[in-house]
Amino acid sequence: MTAVIRADNLSKWYGNVLGLSDVSLEIEAGITGLLGPNGAGKSTFMKLVTGQMRPSLGRIAILGQDVWNRYALFRRIGFCPEQDAFYEEMTGWEFLTGLLDLHGFSRGEAASRARRALELIELVDAKDRLIRGYSRGMRQRLKIAQAIAHDPDVIILDEPLNGLDPLSKRKVIRLIKDFKEAGKTVLVSSHVLPEIEALTRTIVLLHQGKILAQGDIPYIRDLIDKHPHMIAVTCRDPRRLAAAVVGESSILDIRFGPDPGTVVFETRDRDRVFGLLTALAAGNALDVEEISSPDDNLQAVFDYLVGR
Amino acid sequence: MPIAEQGYAHWTGTFVERRLPWWPVTRLGIRLAFKRKFFKFAFAFSFLPAFIFLAGIYISERMQDFQFMVRGRQSVNFLNINPAFFRSYFTADALLFIMVMLMVLAGAGLIADDLKQNALQLYFARPLRKRDYIAGKLFTAFFFLLSLTLVPGLLFILFKLIFAGSFKLLVDFPWLPLSVIGYSFALTLFLSLYTLLVSSLSRNRRYTAILIFVIYILSDVFFGIFYGIFRNPYFSLLSIKSNLQQMGAAIFGVAPRYNIPWVYSFLVLAAIGTASGFILKNKVRGVEVIR
Amino acid sequence: MNIELQNIRFSYGSIKALDGVDLMLGAGACGLLGPNGAGKSTLLRILLGFLKPADGEGTVLGYDIRHEPFAIRRLVGYMPEDDCLIPGMDAVTFTAYFGELSGMPRQEAMKRAHDVLFYVGLGESRYRMLETYSAGMKQRLKMAQALVHDPKLLFLDEPTSNLDPQGRVEVLDLIKDISSKKDINVLVSSHILGDIEATCSHVVILNKGQVAAQGEIEALKAVTYSLYELRIKGSGDGFIRALEGQGCRIEPTEDGLLKIYMPPGLPRTALFTTAERERVQIRYFVKSRTSLEDLFAKTVGVD
Repeated sequence: MTAVIRADNLSKWYGNVLGLSDVSLEIEAGITGLLGPNGAGKSTFMKLVTGQMRPSLGRIAILGQDVWNRYALFRRIGFCPEQDAFYEEMTGWEFLTGLLDLHGFSRGEAASRARRALELIELVDAKDRLIRGYSRGMRQRLKIAQAIAHDPDVIILDEPLNGLDPLSKRKVIRLIKDFKEAGKTVLVSSHVLPEIEALTRTIVLLHQGKILAQGDIPYIRDLIDKHPHMIAVTCRDPRRLAAAVVGESSILDIRFGPDPGTVVFETRDRDRVFGLLTALAAGNALDVEEISSPDDNLQAVFDYLVGR
Repeated sequence: MPIAEQGYAHWTGTFVERRLPWWPVTRLGIRLAFKRKFFKFAFAFSFLPAFIFLAGIYISERMQDFQFMVRGRQSVNFLNINPAFFRSYFTADALLFIMVMLMVLAGAGLIADDLKQNALQLYFARPLRKRDYIAGKLFTAFFFLLSLTLVPGLLFILFKLIFAGSFKLLVDFPWLPLSVIGYSFALTLFLSLYTLLVSSLSRNRRYTAILIFVIYILSDVFFGIFYGIFRNPYFSLLSIKSNLQQMGAAIFGVAPRYNIPWVYSFLVLAAIGTASGFILKNKVRGVEVIR
Repeated sequence: MNIELQNIRFSYGSIKALDGVDLMLGAGACGLLGPNGAGKSTLLRILLGFLKPADGEGTVLGYDIRHEPFAIRRLVGYMPEDDCLIPGMDAVTFTAYFGELSGMPRQEAMKRAHDVLFYVGLGESRYRMLETYSAGMKQRLKMAQALVHDPKLLFLDEPTSNLDPQGRVEVLDLIKDISSKKDINVLVSSHILGDIEATCSHVVILNKGQVAAQGEIEALKAVTYSLYELRIKGSGDGFIRALEGQGCRIEPTEDGLLKIYMPPGLPRTALFTTAERERVQIRYFVKSRTSLEDLFAKTVGVD
């Protein structure tokens, strides 16, 4: 697949403060999560990708063209920033149609696009109210609306679910997934890792201005040698289960707890251990209640790589 | 020897009912004021008129030593220590201006900063009455303003008595200390309420600082313009400065500059003060309605 | 009971924020959920005494919300959602100041401020000016000022907002630690369901100014005993057919999760024996439960 967003040795400094250092990556169509601790360079990257800043070194290109000053390209990019900054005296409708006007759409087209965007994020009833009177969730949804109203191919979202109640979050997640189905490229940044996991399995992890990890979450997890995989089993007699597998060399560590019926195995060879477990569960009267991998998620990957 | 428990420990003390619940607020206000860069310098500088007048008191007692100053001139009237002397200090344009500038530096942010930083919700999640919060802020301003009015005023009387070696001043003008105290508090109260009123109008400290200064100056400018055109002394009611001076003259029993009853000036100032009270009560709330 | 409310009503002008709220909250950690505009902030403001209800009665920790708000505020700690700090102070002064305003004697407040700042993890930075604090530190400072007077009840409003993933975990751990002390009760208002599930045992869901659901999270989540969720490795078709042959109903979902409805009488072990026979590994196996998100959607209604 061809890369939609491509960075080559991208670097950015603010005076002597480091923003990004030597970042090279390719983002393809679909949803990609961008994560990292505060100060890792996420907002710097987003500003560079949306053409708000010029790189100090290297290049950043969308669909093969450098972003900086490429106005024609801006029409194909939508950006939902994290900050809350609106013209409070406008109504939502005026705001959205105003921005669409700036894109060069005709009056009629701007109106129909604005209406469609408002319908997607369910803000049609409030469209003629002043933005000053909008609740936090409504402002957030308006931000998303202005990012998608001009039907861009590349959508950059910075904390899009911030301030939304759980139902609105669900709807926006569904909306983002629809974009993926439509072949668009979405880059989502968030601190709430379960929300990223609900959207995608592909991530880019930034740390101290560099890329720390990139790719498929389970793939990255597999690569973290220092922390073998954990497999938690809840059953009637955990100690008997442990006793049955303790001779197995691929099991590196066995821990009990915290709940009374749970035992946690650590291993680098999950395949073997799962095979063993299935066989044991079938045979003995263990009455296995639950099998899970507690550290096979994004939060664990983040903790292991960035370290606490 | 058991290992002491880490982590959260409960507090075993008891709460106190403070006699002055506003005191921590005042203390903090004073401390924050002194943290600002120019403030220490400005505050020290603001005592200059007091020192000058204090020197005047000393000179007035030792006139013979200072005959050289009277050379060629008749009596140097201003060195008579009488109520007019006090009135000159207390209603001097310079002193009033200095007090307003102090409020610009120290008072503009009293409420504006708390509004901007959303600190009000922290204050009122405590058992703190609205009036205690406002009193605390008010008394911060009081601290600075009274130290420019009450303290020098009483010190003038004291030093005059010491230098003169007699109670002549008090015998001649027995109500003088009362005037000093009365006017100091009136002036301080008005300027404090004025400052808090303007401070509560905006979240931006720079903006309120400018407003405090500009409203004061402009009121005088408008008076000047109208007086220049119409020559009617009643326009002095427009100027905050003139109102304060009228009131000062009345309290010290000296003829006022403009020939209108001082009661009117007092009413104008009282009206502004009362309006300030109402607006403060309204602006200082623990809750923002929009969320 | 820590909080008891009967029929509370409140309106901002013509907007009905709370329309007859009845609430009984006991000990422990409770989550407060609801769509925007459901009345969560209004409820918190009434509990803290910022607003007086138009109708209805209530007590917090035994004190009446209308007539004894000061007694309530002594025993309650509030961690607001917005940033709120006073520049020009360091953390110790800030925390001690608010401890003093809560009614602690000055020296006690100072001593306690140090202790609390260490507890929330700001021990090393407690003498630094607040302007230099990062987002995570500011959140923890807010928690410190809420704890300094040793409250019996803690209101936390969006405690993990603006925190990066490390900060979120740290704050959630802190909340879990506080609520594990049996005599501090915590009320967490949040939009992040994961946070509520991680820290709270009870939940109250508000909708349109009324209580739509309240109770223990575990109890509210419908436990469907015969429904299991599975992930397998290996050829699934044979496995699925074999299970269907035993009377199960299988629903594959997107991203590879299998939902299996077991017929009554068939033990769980049957899944494993079938898997072994079909040479399939079971890699994930849990009893299916409604997620908090589904509960929320069901209660509030997908409009």
